[in-house]
Amino acid sequence: MFSSQAFSQGCSDAGICSVNHGFQTEEKSFKNHIEIATIFGAGESDVRYLSPYISYTKRFNDRFSFTSKVTYSTATGSFGTRSQFGDAFLIGNYTFKEKSNKQWSVLVGWKFPFTASNLKINGYSLPLDYQSSLGTIDLFLGTNLHYKKWDFNGAIQVPVFNLNKNSYFKEYGGTNDFPSTNLFERKPDALLRATYSIKTPNKKFTFKPNVLFIYHLGEDSFENIFGQRENINGSDGLTINGNLITSYNLSKQSSLELSLATPFVVRDVRPDGLTRSFVAGLQYQYSF
Amino acid sequence: MLSCQVEGELTHTPENIVPITPVAILKYYGNFEPTGGITVSGDAKIYLEDNQYKVKLDNFSVTSGPDLKVYLSKSATPNEFVNLGNLTSQTVYPIPSSVNVADYSHVLIHCQQYSHLFAIAELIQN
Repeated sequence: MFSSQAFSQGCSDAGICSVNHGFQTEEKSFKNHIEIATIFGAGESDVRYLSPYISYTKRFNDRFSFTSKVTYSTATGSFGTRSQFGDAFLIGNYTFKEKSNKQWSVLVGWKFPFTASNLKINGYSLPLDYQSSLGTIDLFLGTNLHYKKWDFNGAIQVPVFNLNKNSYFKEYGGTNDFPSTNLFERKPDALLRATYSIKTPNKKFTFKPNVLFIYHLGEDSFENIFGQRENINGSDGLTINGNLITSYNLSKQSSLELSLATPFVVRDVRPDGLTRSFVAGLQYQYSF
Repeated sequence: MLSCQVEGELTHTPENIVPITPVAILKYYGNFEPTGGITVSGDAKIYLEDNQYKVKLDNFSVTSGPDLKVYLSKSATPNEFVNLGNLTSQTVYPIPSSVNVADYSHVLIHCQQYSHLFAIAELIQN
């Protein structure tokens, strides 16, 4: 399960994996909610990540909430270390009235990159694995069904505007670990997630085991050294991740959350730099 | 906020750092001319050494740009070209063996990120 051959699509960087936080339905007595988190990830080759983020949710009433989030990422590996802000997320969430133990939510959101995914070290281009953002403006559309102790999420993440100006060529990189991603163009993702929540009797601990299906809806492409666009064979397809979230209520207003994730099924080729063999995230939440 | 980035040291040797030895034969050369608002000086020289063609930028300097590339091009505009990689402190750029160098007439310095041509060297056969 934790072998070095196993890789998951990163659950923090692309954004689609964390959109379900916008669906939180339990605590409605507070109007403001802040999350501070840091995520460790083990990526392709020897790349390791530390990716903190901060997010703020404003609940306007029982139905509407709005979340903003900013990510940062430090990637360290054979090429060196590169750090930069990643993306800003703006997500609106609407929760419908509960009927027969079923409660639906919908969300719409955007992701804006802080970079064109062309960060370099000493003037040398780096693979997407070292970039803090995909360099795309993405639209999120999602829905959630809350039923008793279950949550079922469905979402799509569509790159609407491609600002990616990455200039990494495998030919000049001196390694076969990463594919060429010069002027990378990315296809959309679709996500399905099923989560089961278990609370201890004293309600201090909550365990949320979940399984996450991500389907990459097409082959990504890049511009080769002759200026011609090439599809990246095998970059489409299914990723299945297992994820266990453990949260501990420090008080009525605050909690700590530990998230551990690893993949079971991966795509053949993963040029987007979202690949993780293991992800561990620690998050602090405060409501007021 | 955007200045909060950290750029470490490059700890990996890129593939396309190669020298030119005294036995290399000069096959083509050309003097760089700037485009509007750009300052450039120096020559592009194409050498053949052990069946490997290489572009050398000789006594070269150019106005700095954000994402400058060295192109071997079939014309003075970057339409049909071979991207030889980033313009860095290195001065020699190997040409992939699949490329028929005789088909190419120019060396260009081009900013890929903002699609702006910086300098043009028309090649003359030696």
